[in-house]
Amino acid sequence: MTKYSVVGKPVLRVDAKSKVTGGAKYTTDIVLPRMLHGKILRSPHPHAKIINIDTSRAEKLPGVEAVITGKDTAGIRFGFVDTPRYPADECPLAEDKVCYIGEGVAAVAAIDEDIAIEALKLIEVEYEPLPAVFDPEEAMKDGAPKIHEVIMPAATCAWEDWGVPRKARPLEIVNNIATTFNVSHGDVEQGFGESDYIRENKFFIPANAHVCLEPHDIVASYDPFYQKLDVWLGHMGYEIKRYWLAKTLGLPITKVRTHNVYVGGAFGGKVTTFPHEVIAGFLSMKTGRPVKIVLSRHEVFAATCSDHRIAMEVKTGVKRDGTIMAQEIKMINDCGAYRGSSPVVMFLSYSYSKPIYNVPNIKYGGKGVYTNKLLGNPKRGHGLNQIRFALDSQIDMIANELGIDTVEMMLKNLYKQGDVLPNGDILYTYGLPECIRKVAEAIDWTNKRGKHNGHGVGIGLGAGDSGLPYWPFAASAIIRLNHDGTATLYNGAVEFGQGSDTILCQIVAEELGLKTDDVTLISNDSELCPMDYNNWLSGGAKVTGEAVRRAAIDVRKQLIECAAMALETKAENLEIKNRHVYVKGEPEKKMAFDEIVRYSIQKRHGDCIIGKGFVKAVDEVEFYPSISKGTGRFTEAYAFSAAAAEVEVDQETGRVKVLKLAVADDCGFDINPVNVEGQLESQAIMGLGDTLFEEVLIENGKTVNPTLADYKIPGTVDMPELETISVQTVDPKGPYGAKEVGEFARGSVPPAIANAIFDAIGARIYSLPITPEKILEALKGKKK
Amino acid sequence: MKQFIKLRVNGESYEVQVEPKRLLLDVLRDNLGLTGAKKACDFGNCGSCTVLMDGKPVLSCLVLAIEAQDKDILTVEGLAKNGQLHPLQQAFVDHGAIQCGFCTPGMLMSAKALLDENPKPTQAEIKEALSGNLCRCTGYAKIIKAVEAAAQKMQGVN
Repeated sequence: MTKYSVVGKPVLRVDAKSKVTGGAKYTTDIVLPRMLHGKILRSPHPHAKIINIDTSRAEKLPGVEAVITGKDTAGIRFGFVDTPRYPADECPLAEDKVCYIGEGVAAVAAIDEDIAIEALKLIEVEYEPLPAVFDPEEAMKDGAPKIHEVIMPAATCAWEDWGVPRKARPLEIVNNIATTFNVSHGDVEQGFGESDYIRENKFFIPANAHVCLEPHDIVASYDPFYQKLDVWLGHMGYEIKRYWLAKTLGLPITKVRTHNVYVGGAFGGKVTTFPHEVIAGFLSMKTGRPVKIVLSRHEVFAATCSDHRIAMEVKTGVKRDGTIMAQEIKMINDCGAYRGSSPVVMFLSYSYSKPIYNVPNIKYGGKGVYTNKLLGNPKRGHGLNQIRFALDSQIDMIANELGIDTVEMMLKNLYKQGDVLPNGDILYTYGLPECIRKVAEAIDWTNKRGKHNGHGVGIGLGAGDSGLPYWPFAASAIIRLNHDGTATLYNGAVEFGQGSDTILCQIVAEELGLKTDDVTLISNDSELCPMDYNNWLSGGAKVTGEAVRRAAIDVRKQLIECAAMALETKAENLEIKNRHVYVKGEPEKKMAFDEIVRYSIQKRHGDCIIGKGFVKAVDEVEFYPSISKGTGRFTEAYAFSAAAAEVEVDQETGRVKVLKLAVADDCGFDINPVNVEGQLESQAIMGLGDTLFEEVLIENGKTVNPTLADYKIPGTVDMPELETISVQTVDPKGPYGAKEVGEFARGSVPPAIANAIFDAIGARIYSLPITPEKILEALKGKKK
Repeated sequence: MKQFIKLRVNGESYEVQVEPKRLLLDVLRDNLGLTGAKKACDFGNCGSCTVLMDGKPVLSCLVLAIEAQDKDILTVEGLAKNGQLHPLQQAFVDHGAIQCGFCTPGMLMSAKALLDENPKPTQAEIKEALSGNLCRCTGYAKIIKAVEAAAQKMQGVN
């Protein structure tokens, strides 16, 4: 990788100094003059009619500036999914009834937080409790409590606003079924008929939480004279946030400005629009003053969203040699009180997993079911975690029973580079076999496997897209060359820890012969930056990175054209290095960038050299793939990962100690190797938490572990030895060959640990998290 | 009823009028504008609000501002001197020990308290000292490495 001078190098993060000195500004640090503080009154009932809300006492409390209820925000709808088939179903504040414990029923804006909290206590809500349902199987039965009846679309749905010429229609909900997903290829019956061995298992993955260290927050500031709303908020992409804020608050999209702030972690959990964001905007418009809402940790756990609860039945048929012939999967997604990303998580669990095993006959069916619980939304890997735990646990079982080595069986069933998937996606690069071999080697697979002595090793796989066709479908960037020959990049990426600020500056520096420090970044501001794909569709490096690269190439081209004119030579004789344009082979003939800018202004009608770049996520398609049928192009480049785990299980206590995790990832090309390592270490440890600790516990609709004392995430003392391996396949579509690296390794970790536990104790656990209790239970079952 | 209290933070003296129930974290952030220490869990479970009080790490979300009177408070803003990063800060930068950065100020202050007390910690001692500081982004590996590197560097300096 020596052909590059800035990309491919461990360049220090451009945001690091501000973050170690306490100078980095997050939404929670934003204070504006005359700012009010907003608080939300939440339902204590999982399902209840709202008979009456009396806000009169709260309104009279000195310092209270506004009190609103669902009557004020009636009719406003939003949601992660708003398509012709699935109209948005969420509202800022409950209108006629509440559907989960924690749903907002009223909100207050006051001059300080204490007064706002006091005011909430003065609001009297009269409820009439309704029968509630918490189990999706129960919810689907005739006669179960109906959570939603008919979901009415707005005048236009989001997909229509974004260019799909189809009208939304009312959606009648039958048996609480919120969504369905069905996809099939080949003929599963025939495939099972041709199989020598068929296995069927049930798996369950509970809700776990994102646990971004920065709680969800927003500062919204409305100027009534310009009818404009300025917002600072924790998010993952301003295009989607300002679209929904504009739509819900009835403002033109350019009258909502999202400002650049650092975001204290996201992991998928800040992409959707949340009630508190619409409420803050609404309260600011009502009062004409800035309103800040910072959710408590309890609210983040119990009233934003979690990852998805999915129960899965998996049936796989194989030949005696381990060749997979057919696979049928039935999913039930307990999506909670609102749809959240339910149809998407089922579609993605299929789409992300598809390029792993080449299964000729496939049938996936899924239902999302409403229950009176907290809703599910995207979390890092969005569906991959759930399905990989099920599929790779079962592959391990089948391999063990057929006496085949699991690694060999995995390798035998993979696609190959150049293969075309059923939806038309082409596997231009395919580093998965190398990822598998590398992690197996790193964990000493051959020597440690199969001892069943309380000590075991296991493996799991992952894959995912590098940008999929979703609004706004494309990224763009502008680069301005400055008077002193440095560059300023204008791009809409949002830095929430993944390192986008740094790699985008590296790309500009690489193309223009600059140092990373020579690039000033104006990012994450919807008013200053051009349209961007943003950072929640796994396309940050590949799509946004490519747009930035193209903008830099445009600037370089102009610099060379101008220097050719000044030096009276042809453009092809020139090269760029160290902020200069040189005549090749004649280093004394050169022109500094600042000279070129001056020359360009003088001789080229004031052209001060501005470059632009743009690129679509998937060039050949105009709109979305079908999320209910799984058809249509999905991505130009899949990233792959494999994880291997070594564990020790104490068979007296059931306690699992993960000794080592090795994670290999084919991200195409490491634009910044330290960032890549950081993403893989991050996902290894998050996957460890998914596997051993994490579950949002909900009893009768109530979240019973809504604190960081009761909901354990991994800490320093839980760290195993970590080994990360980057497999660089240099994809033809990504900038310098880069693909995705931020989210799909996480899903390979739970099956790796679960399979290692089986290897250690000979007992299988079918649900996450794998607690000591489950291990002891499984060991008891094994003895019987 | 508000009362005047005197605080000594990062070597500077402040006089603020606060209610006795006010937390040190809120006074640092809201009254003094020192927003480096973060509120992330509300209950002293995550370490993001860690500051040093007379050299000892405390969770400023569990300390009343009035309890901090007559103590020396050090926040992340007080670590760098004369425009030079503290060796711990520099090591966090050099080793990529930062992602979203929200836990970083607390992490740095816990690490500083450790190295002040134990200049040559083992890796296990570093993990133990940082066990109350949660990070969701980094997987901790680079943070541990950075603290080890800073300890070595500070040894060299002394």
